[in-house]
Amino acid sequence: MSPIGLEHYLTLAAILFVCGAVCMATKRNAIGVLIGVELVLNGANINLVAFAHFNPAFEIEGMTFALFVIVLAAAEAAVALAIVLNFYNNHTTVDVDTAEDLKG
Amino acid sequence: MTPRTLINLTDNMSRDLPAFLPELVLCGAIVLMLLFRLFARFDQKHMGWVALVLTVYALIVSIVQWQGGIYDPRPVDVKSLELFSGMLVYDNLTIFLRMFLLAFAVLLIWLCLMTGIPDREDSADFFCLVLGATLGMSIMASANHLLMIFMGVEMASLPSYALAGFLKGRRQSSEAALKYVVYGGGAAGIMLYGISLLAGRFGTGYLPDVAAFMAANPLDPLVLLGTLFVLIGVGFKLAAVPFHFWCPDVFEGASAEVAAFLSVASKGAALAMLARIVLGLGGLAEPQFDPQVWERVAPYLVPVLAVFAAVTVTFGNLAAYTQTNLKRLLAYSTIAHAGFMMLGLATMTRDGVSAVLVYLIVYLFMNLGAFAVVAFLRNVTGSEDMRDFRGLIHRAPVLVVTLAVFLLSLLGLPPLAGFAAKFQIFSALFDAGRNYGSPGVGQPGLSGVMYALLVIGGLNTVLSLFYYLKPLKIMILDKPLEEVEDRPCEPLPIPWLPNLYAGFLAFVILAVGIFWGPLANAGGEAVNRFHAASAETGGVPVARGGQP
Repeated sequence: MSPIGLEHYLTLAAILFVCGAVCMATKRNAIGVLIGVELVLNGANINLVAFAHFNPAFEIEGMTFALFVIVLAAAEAAVALAIVLNFYNNHTTVDVDTAEDLKG
Repeated sequence: MTPRTLINLTDNMSRDLPAFLPELVLCGAIVLMLLFRLFARFDQKHMGWVALVLTVYALIVSIVQWQGGIYDPRPVDVKSLELFSGMLVYDNLTIFLRMFLLAFAVLLIWLCLMTGIPDREDSADFFCLVLGATLGMSIMASANHLLMIFMGVEMASLPSYALAGFLKGRRQSSEAALKYVVYGGGAAGIMLYGISLLAGRFGTGYLPDVAAFMAANPLDPLVLLGTLFVLIGVGFKLAAVPFHFWCPDVFEGASAEVAAFLSVASKGAALAMLARIVLGLGGLAEPQFDPQVWERVAPYLVPVLAVFAAVTVTFGNLAAYTQTNLKRLLAYSTIAHAGFMMLGLATMTRDGVSAVLVYLIVYLFMNLGAFAVVAFLRNVTGSEDMRDFRGLIHRAPVLVVTLAVFLLSLLGLPPLAGFAAKFQIFSALFDAGRNYGSPGVGQPGLSGVMYALLVIGGLNTVLSLFYYLKPLKIMILDKPLEEVEDRPCEPLPIPWLPNLYAGFLAFVILAVGIFWGPLANAGGEAVNRFHAASAETGGVPVARGGQP
């Protein structure tokens, strides 16, 4: 068994990214879609931390990048959940398929 | 980012902070508005005035910086500075776009004070969101690092999501916000994944280095994938086809003021970011044009941008035909105009970018004007559907005439400013086509692409004629419903201030349409002193990270 290298982390990140993208595309529940977004963001974060670990020149930059992304992901989740709650108050459901007043 | 750059950061703080002053004023305005809420005396006041005064101050600072006055920290012979150890870049393009964003914010806050959205109670929240998003857009326009690109996009997007759903009790508003946040969050995630691939592959997020490494090996699969993902994120902010589907729904569900903000400021910032990326990748950001970099990148990048632009402009114009809701019609018109501006970027020349900057300024006035008239009409009639506006010219003559000016300018009819803007784009395309075809450059394929784009742009101008004229025909030629039903046809109770506002914007469009020399010069100046590589490294981009 080979030691764990950069490729393994990148593969894990790619799997997370694909899972997240599929989740965003197929879930009908708004919360499920948001979970997909979080998966994609964390896939990107694993990429950054892995690159930072294996490339000394990128070490501080990559880590800083990842920290900023964590904070932004939290902010985005807060705004998104507030909007979903507001949608629920108006529609009494969080099924994104019921969002069809606006079209054309 | 090494300890060495951290030392630079503190050393240069007294130089960097004045350059960043307009953004700091915006930050101050946000904090001030939130603090005022704590005191009972100010709690009942409308915070729009605080926002207005401080935004005007930030705009004045930017204008002084443009003229090289006291707030401009650049030495005489240096055209661009890198702020905060290379995170942001401060050059004429930055200042130009800041002036664009702040001038728009001032006009928008004025509009909001007149239309009464937001009301007094919500005013602090609303203007905090508007100024916060403006701050993010300003950072997008001056980003010099992949981290700052992502931060800017998110700082501009998160308040926009909340603004789209600001009318909390309305079903449509909550639906618009949900669609925006779901699609926007997804696009931001994909963009971040692309950024992580690019930054990790090159070992740096510093844009000039990234551009230099990319020019060295443009066909690396990881780099291609990363670039594609970043383009998806930018395309979403721009509402470029095929990432446009959120735009009409969000514009229809949000209030007209917010729609104006999203259609002008958000588009402008995204275009500025795309312009920076395109010029950076094309080797045009160096003090001297670097033809070798250009030759390696342009044959790939120009066709991609050209296809995006052509599809976007055509789709936007075709989809606008069947719309009856004015905001929805303007949403598709916005998509088409984003396509027009991308035509300018697809030339990958400085002239093209300069034409885009002129277009942006003109677009600010005409699009804001159109949305403002929609907001005023909504306030007095409660409707945004053009079928309710039959014969409106008898009831609200000033607003209909100004709306006619805005729509005809969006169409590009001389002598209005929209014509000058389109003319600049077309002449940039023509020049680029002739230049690429000349034996010295020898890119006949690209030359053909430019001429094809010119034809597409011309055809689309004709296409857009019909849907811009449709609302005008209904408002001016059709008989009012009241007259048909034999009821008295009363004039609408529109106060004088909205009429003045619309008249002012229409006057600017007319004036710029006739005297557009100064604006074109300003656009040229903004690009000619485009970011040269950092002063510290003497004009040569130095790899800060590891080799790719």
